[in-house]
Amino acid sequence: MSEKLSDATVAAGSPAATVMSAPDGSGRENASNATRARRRGGSRRGRAPFWVALLWLGPALLLIAGVVIYPAIELVKASTSNYSITGLRLGSAGGTNFSKVIHHPDFVTVMKNTVTWVVAVVVLTIVISLALAQFLSKEFFGRKLVRWAIIVPWAASLIITARLFTLLFDYYHGLINRLLLWLHLLHKPVDFLGDDKWTMPSMILVGIFVSLPFTAYVFLAGLNAIPDDVIEAARIDGARPWQIYWRVILPLLRPAMMIASVLNIIYVFNSFPIVYTLNDRNPGYAHDTSITFMYKLAFKGAEHSVGMSAAAGVFNVLLILVVVMVYLRLVKWQEA
Amino acid sequence: MASMSRKTTAWLAGIGAAVVALSACGGGSGSKDTGGGTNNAKKVTEIKLVAAEYSQDHTKAFWDQFAKTYQSKYGIKLNVQIISWNDIAQQSTTMVQNGSPPDILNINYYSSYAKDNLLYTADDVLPSSVQSDLLDAFKTSGTFNGKLYGLPDLSSARALFYNKTLFSRAGIAAPPKTWDEFEADAKKVQALGNGTIGYAMPLGPEEAQAEFSIWDFNNGGDWKDSSGKWTINSPANVDTLSFLKKLANVDKVTQNNPGKTNRTDGAFPLFTTGKAGMVVGFGPLSATLDKDKKVDYGIAPMPTKGASSPQTYGVTDYLDAFKKPGNQEAVKDFYQLYYQPDQVNTWIKSEGFLPVTKSGLDSFKSIPALKVYIDTLPNIHLTPNQDPTWDTVLKAVQQNIGTAVQPNGNPQKVLDQLQKTATSGG
Repeated sequence: MSEKLSDATVAAGSPAATVMSAPDGSGRENASNATRARRRGGSRRGRAPFWVALLWLGPALLLIAGVVIYPAIELVKASTSNYSITGLRLGSAGGTNFSKVIHHPDFVTVMKNTVTWVVAVVVLTIVISLALAQFLSKEFFGRKLVRWAIIVPWAASLIITARLFTLLFDYYHGLINRLLLWLHLLHKPVDFLGDDKWTMPSMILVGIFVSLPFTAYVFLAGLNAIPDDVIEAARIDGARPWQIYWRVILPLLRPAMMIASVLNIIYVFNSFPIVYTLNDRNPGYAHDTSITFMYKLAFKGAEHSVGMSAAAGVFNVLLILVVVMVYLRLVKWQEA
Repeated sequence: MASMSRKTTAWLAGIGAAVVALSACGGGSGSKDTGGGTNNAKKVTEIKLVAAEYSQDHTKAFWDQFAKTYQSKYGIKLNVQIISWNDIAQQSTTMVQNGSPPDILNINYYSSYAKDNLLYTADDVLPSSVQSDLLDAFKTSGTFNGKLYGLPDLSSARALFYNKTLFSRAGIAAPPKTWDEFEADAKKVQALGNGTIGYAMPLGPEEAQAEFSIWDFNNGGDWKDSSGKWTINSPANVDTLSFLKKLANVDKVTQNNPGKTNRTDGAFPLFTTGKAGMVVGFGPLSATLDKDKKVDYGIAPMPTKGASSPQTYGVTDYLDAFKKPGNQEAVKDFYQLYYQPDQVNTWIKSEGFLPVTKSGLDSFKSIPALKVYIDTLPNIHLTPNQDPTWDTVLKAVQQNIGTAVQPNGNPQKVLDQLQKTATSGG
């Protein structure tokens, strides 16, 4: 049980471990580790005594208590408190912060934005990454260089990337508009970040850009873990390339797909810098997701309420938990 | 089956932990009472200043030098933390929330703190000689519930900047004095074509209240009337916002999407690159223009409509003194030193801002570049900072007023909503 727990935590908590090992081809090893772990599930070896287990788990448990549980408790406490605009706690607020958040005039807009943002970024990222991973798994001249180039957007800080894109998207000075005008694809610049029609698509584009590296490498690791003989066998049985991909490769990528989609849902949902930076000149909440909404409630909006913001924070945690659970149930992940 | 559900639990626990870890970043602990007895508490040996960053070149340099002088003079250590304007409101809120405010906070509001009984009054910490030296406009704006809490550190005033080259090419002899002239001139500059913009209008969330205020004050409008009642949706205010909307959508003499353009990264660059004919600016913009030497510009009083004489919109920031056990003497010394002419005036000059004291006004009179501001400074027109409700209304203005100048915007409706926010106490 404890062994399983830590396995799961590692898988969910440290995507880096899976991905970083991929470029040199050791993703294969990783995946077979996972298979072994699964096989071992049934057999029961000697159990360590409780105190030994505790000794080993201690540091991790302490860390979880300090970094996860304590802030969570404080968050719930703050969400039921009434704060002055200065940050001074004035007393208990009961559930009023929650009802104020849910009855906020822009709440529905924010929820719609959140769904659009998460679904569009995650789905498009996965589709593009599948193609990208397929490409990267082939031998070609300069593959190493391309692999590194793809990792760069992931290594750069999100704030920097987002700032860079505000410059690229700029109405007057932006390179994208200049290029499109120069190519005569446009006769008038597009206000990518100010025009209500374009704001969300522009943010989604950047969202995909920064999510691609991680996702592509998860799939690349998954592809590397598929034994050649399986594909060989399919070919001998007369399967066409498309059939091989659809019937053999894709089903075998299921575990990678699980990891990629669950982690991407969580990351994209929680993504603050992109939405905030690209949207910071727009008044109101018209293009905010629930994460930037939470921040603005506390510090930027007229509400100026730490309590309401904390309530929105609790709401966000519950929301993403429910979404992930429903997703896992839908795709019957135990069979993966 | 049993093992399956255990596995499920483990997975969900793992994912749950990851979710919580990734999203539980908000919230801090409740604060304890920070107001406190000052007489019998032990005297502090160091105090902390949290200050906003006006410029990267001068702010830190000034406060570091100030801290050294302060320590050598009074034997108390002054810890300085400089925070950018973008983050200071958030960080100071968190400091108070965690029960550890600084001793002195340099920020653009004070009355909410005064209302929460967190601040010393001027009588507690400001030498009377300094109190009488402060300009009356700032004293009024710093007074909450009959007591002076808002101790001004510096001020700035706005005026109309115009591009002389574009003006002469458009055949405009002198800067506009009325709104009609302004409209006509903006059209002429816009008609020069080639991406030229008549007037750069920043009504985005960064500082929409400033842009609206300066136009509104020159139309005889205001946020409140003389009896202190909110008048955000008064006919004059609606007229002002409708005029701004007309400039953007009917005359089309502004840059693209003024309701979503900020000042520092939107309107100012358009003027400093020579694209815009006019913009409302202040001292630091002059400094940039003088350094770049790319634009031949002039500064004029704002054009008026309803007002009898040009009004200037002023901004002042504050040095809030937090009540903490044993810090009263040290804080008093801080102000004593800060308002010494060789400290405060040197700093204000280096940052390109305006003085807040009568003695400062005298020493700034000799600077020709500042004449247009200095003349209007005693009658400077401020926002109602002394009302804690303003701190909330301000945010609502920043987040909403820009929507009124969009093609489908409705100035009356936006101002009605803001009035409702103000009268319901924020």
